[in-house]
Amino acid sequence: MTAEAKLAPIRKGLLEFLVLKIVGARSAYVLDILRRLAETEFSTQEGTLYPLLSKLRREDLVLYEWQESGSGPPRKYYRLTEAGKAQLAALDEYWNRINRTIADIGH
Amino acid sequence: MQRISITVTLNRSTLKFDEAAYQRLEQYLDEAGRTLDGNPDQAEILADLEQAVADQCLRRMGPGSGVVTLAELQPALDEVGSVQVPGAPPASEHAARSATRPLQQVSEGAMISGVCKGLARYFGLNVTLLRIAAVLLLFATGGGLILVYLALMILIPYAPPERGGAPIRWLPARSRGFVEFLRAKLGAATT
Repeated sequence: MTAEAKLAPIRKGLLEFLVLKIVGARSAYVLDILRRLAETEFSTQEGTLYPLLSKLRREDLVLYEWQESGSGPPRKYYRLTEAGKAQLAALDEYWNRINRTIADIGH
Repeated sequence: MQRISITVTLNRSTLKFDEAAYQRLEQYLDEAGRTLDGNPDQAEILADLEQAVADQCLRRMGPGSGVVTLAELQPALDEVGSVQVPGAPPASEHAARSATRPLQQVSEGAMISGVCKGLARYFGLNVTLLRIAAVLLLFATGGGLILVYLALMILIPYAPPERGGAPIRWLPARSRGFVEFLRAKLGAATT
């Protein structure tokens, strides 16, 4: 089993964290998010992203605004709510803790 | 000759599709709708996906070409990808597994022979509630339910041993031995 396959469930679980991080940096619409992820291990598709964004919106972690796009129909620009910022900070901290644990263990 | 096309409104965009592309689109959206069944955001997600498909098709169509064919639609759908619900796969896997599992008696964790446990598993019921209902019914039928229980015990096959299941108590082990003895006798008598 390759390393990628072994850690596939973790990668999947981390997608939400990364999406929060991306829209936390600046408000973004779906293609922005997809492009940002495309160059990484977390490359994904609209079919995955829209259900996730709807879930995050329902959990009150993100909200969106319609913005005219110049070409084509208006786009939904997502950004973090206050609860979303708090969640992102908590996830960031926990992830750092996990990373430290991984780095320290076995020494 | 004019190609017959179907006008489709996808969220905020209106496009013309040829027959084959229209059918493929319908299939994709049906499947997406089924995957999102029961999701409180189903309508919103479907509207977003419709828009995504429309945008992808428009991007692939040359200026002036009016009708979407499979040549544009299929790569557009591949790009959008099938709908993945966050954290969903175990639910559908579980449903598929329990749907194909036959009605069997379960000796592990059984009280008498495993009839209630087997019925509860087969119909997706709470085994404790089912047992309470059985005891109440036993009194209501003046003990007649015992005959039903005995019949089910003999008729319903036993599930193969479970690894990691609850231990098998004394009574279920004995009743299973008795039923298997009886079945062997009956088998011998009928052949």
